[in-house]
Amino acid sequence: MSRQAQSRPQPTTRRPADSEGQDEICPVCKSSRYLTPTLRFLINPECYHKFCESCVDRIFSHGPAPCPIPGCHKTLRKHKFRTPTFSDLQVEREVDIRKKVGAVFNRREEEFEDLRAYNDYLNEVEDITFNLINKLEVEETEKRFKAYQRAHEREITENASLAEQERASFAALQKEEREQARSRREAARREDAEEKRQLEENRRDVLNRLASGQDAESVAKAGQQVHLKKRMDRAAAAERQRQLQAASASNGSGNVVIKGLRAKQKQEPEASVDPFGGLSFEGRKYYALQDDYVWAGVQETKADVLIGAGGYDVGAFTGRALCEAFAGLGVFVGDEMDERDREKMGKENDEMATKGAEVAATKGGNAAKGKVKDVKMEDPF
Amino acid sequence: MAQPLSEDDIYRTSTQYRLWSFSPESLASQRKKTHELAVDRAQRYADRDTHLLTEGEELRLVQRYCEQIRTTSDHFKWPVNVKATAVQYLRRFYLSNSCITYPPKEIYKTVLFLASKSEATHVTLADYARRISTDPEAILAAEYKVMQALRFTLDVRQPFRGLKGCLMELLNMAEGMIGHMEGVEEGMSEGTVVAERTKELPSPGEGSHTKWTPPSNGKTQLKHVQDRIQAAYSAARVLLDGPASLTDVYFLYTPSQILLAALQLADGPLTGFYLSSKLPTDAPVRPKILATISACADMLAAFNQSQVLTKDERAKLEERLEKCRDPSTKDLVKAFAAMRQDGTGEDGAGEEKAKRRKVAREKNEKEGQDLFGPSLTASGT
Repeated sequence: MSRQAQSRPQPTTRRPADSEGQDEICPVCKSSRYLTPTLRFLINPECYHKFCESCVDRIFSHGPAPCPIPGCHKTLRKHKFRTPTFSDLQVEREVDIRKKVGAVFNRREEEFEDLRAYNDYLNEVEDITFNLINKLEVEETEKRFKAYQRAHEREITENASLAEQERASFAALQKEEREQARSRREAARREDAEEKRQLEENRRDVLNRLASGQDAESVAKAGQQVHLKKRMDRAAAAERQRQLQAASASNGSGNVVIKGLRAKQKQEPEASVDPFGGLSFEGRKYYALQDDYVWAGVQETKADVLIGAGGYDVGAFTGRALCEAFAGLGVFVGDEMDERDREKMGKENDEMATKGAEVAATKGGNAAKGKVKDVKMEDPF
Repeated sequence: MAQPLSEDDIYRTSTQYRLWSFSPESLASQRKKTHELAVDRAQRYADRDTHLLTEGEELRLVQRYCEQIRTTSDHFKWPVNVKATAVQYLRRFYLSNSCITYPPKEIYKTVLFLASKSEATHVTLADYARRISTDPEAILAAEYKVMQALRFTLDVRQPFRGLKGCLMELLNMAEGMIGHMEGVEEGMSEGTVVAERTKELPSPGEGSHTKWTPPSNGKTQLKHVQDRIQAAYSAARVLLDGPASLTDVYFLYTPSQILLAALQLADGPLTGFYLSSKLPTDAPVRPKILATISACADMLAAFNQSQVLTKDERAKLEERLEKCRDPSTKDLVKAFAAMRQDGTGEDGAGEEKAKRRKVAREKNEKEGQDLFGPSLTASGT
């Protein structure tokens, strides 16, 4: 007996002895699970110290009180106590922090237009979380956290309600699916029973008929035919069922939303380029372009296969030649220039003259003179 | 909202109109100013008693070099547009620079090379320099200077293509093919009438440049009219090539007016007839346009080839020019090399930059040699 007990392997789930002792004994009243099997431990997310339920009742029933663990001066309230989800309290704390951060930083991937921005955001969130968990630069991180919360108050609530809706609709969907599965099973069971009942009936019918003295062969045949028909019905029903399932499956997949970045907004199609910036050359005054010109220069070019093959149109030449023949016919340079000179005394124009020479002079190494302003290169008009 | 542009508006968008068109007075005052500034500068470095060029002499020297450009261009067998562009570049250059500062002897080769580039008649610098037996550096040295003086506007509107347009239209009119024009004189909108009238035109008067003479039997056929048009075209082209390049018409008139003036000189009645098919009789600008064209024609007619300097006269002027050379622009090649070396070519502020650049260059060279580390013997010891 004792030998057997010795050879029994230690259960792998057991914790090391020291932590077990701590786990199982309330640090305040020292009652242990060994003596009180119903002992429940609670924690407070303020300091994550663990007390037994009766201690919590005893100490905090009359309102907030300091944590009884020596050295921990946090003030705790009873309603904040809860049963820990994880036995490792570090994990418990991390999960709490992540929940808290996640409730504020709840932007969704769909809100971002490019992956880079989304990843930057995720990185920021993770930075804050990491700092809070590991207690690095706590104050500054808290400040950042608060600032973000203040700045994005509206979006946060919006996203939260959106998430809530999604959760609700997802739950509804799942419920519906479960319901459907149940009804399918029910129908199958009912069908089965019906079939069995009919089979029985059929057999009884055949027996009855045989008993009443009908021809054995024809009765057996008729019975068989009925059976066959039933079976065909069943096959059809199965087929129907399968189709139903396929349909519901495809329905289900129709509800699946593929999450991703926000679809880029289609940009306005660019307006076609107008190389002349809204000017048209239809305002001819002095000539009308004709379809053909008898001049040999035009005719020869037109007939030349080598020129035409490249896509050259002799109309390009005739149009240009005529435009150039009359471009400026009605421009009276003398008058117009006088007018222009009167309007704006073209200072730059005049100064251009020997200033250029002077610049060259300094370039040539004649450094006796002072600085000379460079020639203005831009159009002075 | 397309804004219709007439031929005149199109011409007004050109840099030739905006920067290089003058009234006779403003052109004269511009030249005077340039000359005076140059003389002023010359007083600083030249002896009191040196005999500077007068403004008229300068002008004739420039004209001589326009002639020089034409012969050089013909030597290269370049098309007429290169020639015209180069001549205009030279004339434009000497609007804001004086021969005293930059002798045209050094400038004209650069100008011709620049024109060959901007008119897409490609020739390599080495080839070009070899064929006019000049140092390539000397051609490049003045290039930037020229570009500055041209205010970086390289477009020269020329009458040659427009003249072809007129030829085209006239030939069509002789055949009775006309484009529809608003408001022109009675009968000018009827093809057959126009064709008839071309045959009845009075013969070109005494002193016309055309080589055409009316047929001896007095019966003018279509063929004769065509010959007349072609002859007028050729004569006008010669006028545009010669006198138009060597006078100031490009500054004072538009290419359209210049080419019609040349046509008028070539064959007055024909041009008059042509213009009557273009200009509405009741248009208020009609008399003004006709007056402008004849003023331009007078200017072209007044040009006398014998006024152009002879070689000896040129040599004399240049000898005088050499005495009053501006020392700062004397060695353009050296200045250009210096500018290329340190990028700025300016004194003072540029010096430091040049030094830095030199250090960087040396370092670069060293690194270039040390690409695969120092030589083996050096690293071994």
